Amino acid sequence: MRALTYAQLVATAVFGSALALADDTIKIGVIQPLTGSVAYNGAADINGSKLAVEERNKAGGVLGKPIELVIEDGQCSPANSVNAAEKLIQKDKVVALSGAFCSSATAAIMPVAQKYKLPLLTGVSSKADLTEKNNPYFFRSAETDALLAQAFAKILAENLKLKKVAYIGVNDDWGRGGVEEFSKDLSAHGIETAMTEYFDHGATDFYTLLAKLRTSGADGVFIAAETQDGSILVKQLKEFGIDMKVFGVGSWATADFINLVGDAAEGIYAAVPYAATLPGERNQTFVQAYQAQYKQAPDKYAAAGYNATNILMDAIQRAGSTDAEQIREALKATNYQAPNGHYQFTANGQAYGFNAALVQIENKQPKVIATTSVEAPMALAAKGE
Amino acid sequence: MDLFLQFLANGLVTGTFYALSALGLTLIFGLMRVVNFAHGEFYMLGGVLGWFVTSHLGLDFFSGLIVVAAIMAAFGWLVDRVLIERVRGQGEEPGILLTIGLSIFLANSALLLAGTAPHKIEGPLPNAPVFLGPVVLTEMRIFAVAVCAALILGAHLLIKKTKLGRAMRATFQDPMAAQLAGIKTARVYASTFALGSILAASAGMLLGAIYSTQVTIGGIVSLKAFVVVILGGMGSFGGAIVGGLVLGVAEALWGGYVSTGMVDIVGFIIVILTLIFKPYGLFSARAERV
Amino acid sequence: MKLERNTLLILAVLAVLFPMLVTDQYILHIGIMVLFYAVLASSLNLIVGYVGEFSLGHTAFLGLGAYTAAILATRYGLPMWATIPLAGVISAALGSVIGAITLRLQGPYFVIITLAFAEVLRIIANNWIGVTNGPMGIAGIPQPEILSTTSTLFAKRLYFYIALAIAAVALYLAYRFVYSSTGRAAVTVRENRYVAQSVGIQPFAYAMQAFVLGAFLAGLAGGFYAHYISFVGADVFRFSFMATMIIMVLIGGKGTLLGPLAGALLVTLMEEYLREAQELRMSIFGLIVMLVVLFLPKGLMGFLTLRRERHAGNAELTGNAQRIQPQGGAI
Repeated sequence: MRALTYAQLVATAVFGSALALADDTIKIGVIQPLTGSVAYNGAADINGSKLAVEERNKAGGVLGKPIELVIEDGQCSPANSVNAAEKLIQKDKVVALSGAFCSSATAAIMPVAQKYKLPLLTGVSSKADLTEKNNPYFFRSAETDALLAQAFAKILAENLKLKKVAYIGVNDDWGRGGVEEFSKDLSAHGIETAMTEYFDHGATDFYTLLAKLRTSGADGVFIAAETQDGSILVKQLKEFGIDMKVFGVGSWATADFINLVGDAAEGIYAAVPYAATLPGERNQTFVQAYQAQYKQAPDKYAAAGYNATNILMDAIQRAGSTDAEQIREALKATNYQAPNGHYQFTANGQAYGFNAALVQIENKQPKVIATTSVEAPMALAAKGE
Repeated sequence: MDLFLQFLANGLVTGTFYALSALGLTLIFGLMRVVNFAHGEFYMLGGVLGWFVTSHLGLDFFSGLIVVAAIMAAFGWLVDRVLIERVRGQGEEPGILLTIGLSIFLANSALLLAGTAPHKIEGPLPNAPVFLGPVVLTEMRIFAVAVCAALILGAHLLIKKTKLGRAMRATFQDPMAAQLAGIKTARVYASTFALGSILAASAGMLLGAIYSTQVTIGGIVSLKAFVVVILGGMGSFGGAIVGGLVLGVAEALWGGYVSTGMVDIVGFIIVILTLIFKPYGLFSARAERV
Repeated sequence: MKLERNTLLILAVLAVLFPMLVTDQYILHIGIMVLFYAVLASSLNLIVGYVGEFSLGHTAFLGLGAYTAAILATRYGLPMWATIPLAGVISAALGSVIGAITLRLQGPYFVIITLAFAEVLRIIANNWIGVTNGPMGIAGIPQPEILSTTSTLFAKRLYFYIALAIAAVALYLAYRFVYSSTGRAAVTVRENRYVAQSVGIQPFAYAMQAFVLGAFLAGLAGGFYAHYISFVGADVFRFSFMATMIIMVLIGGKGTLLGPLAGALLVTLMEEYLREAQELRMSIFGLIVMLVVLFLPKGLMGFLTLRRERHAGNAELTGNAQRIQPQGGAI
């Protein structure tokens, strides 16, 4: 009996991989950080991508074939991501790439995609100038900090009645971008800047920063930080007895974040491109499916992976072939209904039209205060036409 | 002035925490001369195991701490007997490579088992603020400083007053003579390594209750711990405390008056200066050893 | 010596033929990465293997080289044939400064101070936005002019030969150093500092030469990296590069010229092959590193030498091999 099971296992292993090698699937390459300090977010992205593929394959796949995700660990490092991209393109013969999370890693694989003339879509990398490199194979289905800041500056200024704001960001391209864009747009609404400070990723003790914050005279604090750093920072902010309006960007509208921060999370605001509590039937179906699969609600990275993969599969379907040029043309004409609104691309490959939400955490739930549609960046759109 | 006091208090508290997280390394690197790059992973294991036993097995913080200490003692003993034992007395290199391999293995295996999410450990005391004049602290922080002091004192007494401690000192001063005097040196090495692992893991669990714990934090913890041990002088507990406090206060003042953005540079610059001008640390146990 | 030289020449011939026989660009890419790591590992080996001190700060030179080439190419428009040698020169200059400070220390103190230097450089690179563009890094480092009109396969072959040229230069310099009177003196210092001093060798001077040469070669590798990957960020200073280099040198066998080459080849292939293992890959990698330390303590080359000597049954040689063991404790 045991021998039989073993034989079966071997058979599945051998034939399973043989089947996978045969050319009856359409392969999409995914590069995400699965080890290292941002692995937490990379893993969520992969979960979203897998769910999208599963749903699609159940519904008959693309062009009559099932989709196969080939997932590689890029560790958010430029060199490793390039290794992964070369492998996916040359060895696995993927028809399109999705990745590579950190803007630095994405910037490193963009020339690779261009060299091999293969479409590359990132659902996460937010550094503004990525879409300005004139790389015709590059698309981004993510908000940039500039777009998010533009969308929310007015709402924040009016709803929170702020006069003087302190800015705190994680010391990387994303954190610096968030702080710069938000301080620019909030200043335009007449809000003074009380202080600007950065901290290194992985920092655990923020008391010194908070002592400075307390004496800065700000009535609100903007924070650009991800789950790990952000949760500790917000928790210590309340420990420290600081009573300011807290708002920020990052993966905050999630159960993990709220659970880590505890009571201190109550009342804080987050500007996010996605929250599980967004209204709409499309989102409810997505949240239910995700929850059934992974026993937790999706966060913004899960949604990013889900959307990016769906956009790619959708484009391949409309292209009617796996030819890279045709997929690229189809991507340009994207018109995709996501759980968080509608995705289209500008001529530069920047997505617009989808919703972003301002949420406030109330009774351990991210409550949607306002949603707004992310508009095409004016300058870019003008240049594109 | 109030701000300065707050910075100083922050520096002293984080300094104590640095000392605490470096104690295990003081034994393993300072005394045993194993350049242990897996130290941060031992710390991480303490935090992750602590999270597991408190939130999944439902133990309270202190019983959890005892369970974690017991597991890590066994683990440290095994690591020494199975791995470190075989490269003892061959200089730093095999030890460095071995512990780098071990740290890669531990960090990534923990990632597979415990997942990538940060975890919260419920501490025994609330994190409510305590006001001491102009200075803000929390009960949990004061408690952690006390535990830290107790652990440091305990480890110090263990080494100075107990039979095992005497055997340890003898072994690290002259293994050959210790062996001739009937000390089972292999056992002493393994006990020291186990003790170092317990200290690292307890620090991880205690600080996990104040911050949070995640499988990927090992690298940063290792670097800071090396800084503390080098500052204080190899193998000296008193030195580790001073090293930790110096680092904590220097970082708090730099962060307070210069910039929090590159605060990590402070420790490394201090290390470089210390090694240039006082190469064997501020309080080296070296004089006793040779 | 003869064996090492002949093997190197055979390897060189094989490497020259390799891109002509292979058209799979992924394999060519792996080949390029092997050569890149071979240069890095050989440069680290000069310090670890021939000075006998364990540097954990070698990424300082890799990173400085990469940033030098990136800045010269993007801001001043210098071509690749100028940026890569300049990257080497600037790294060598930094190497002479760091070497002058760190080589006074030994053992664990040397290990930690070199690590501290690399970390300081990483933090500076991450914060000095005016020069390094901070955490945003430097993207779009220009490729050689000629590649704009040619096929991707041609580009890969060209990069392969550039990497091969750098590796050849690196090995030639390392070879000359190791088999010069300076190199022999350095080995004497490694084996026994006090004996060396007693016959009039000044350990510091020889260690400095090895250290600066190592920094120069790592700088060349960094310059090449900048152009080939086309993006440079502060992660080039990170410990993970350092760990890879050390693993290569020690797995291959330190203190031999062939060891780092074998290590670069093995480790790069292993990392790529382990992609098949998906989530398990890094755990398996860590495990393999530990097993190598335990069962191949002198690396692959040490193992091969030992086997050959056993085969020959030459007791005298075995005696010699044992003498080449590093000194325990080192203080």
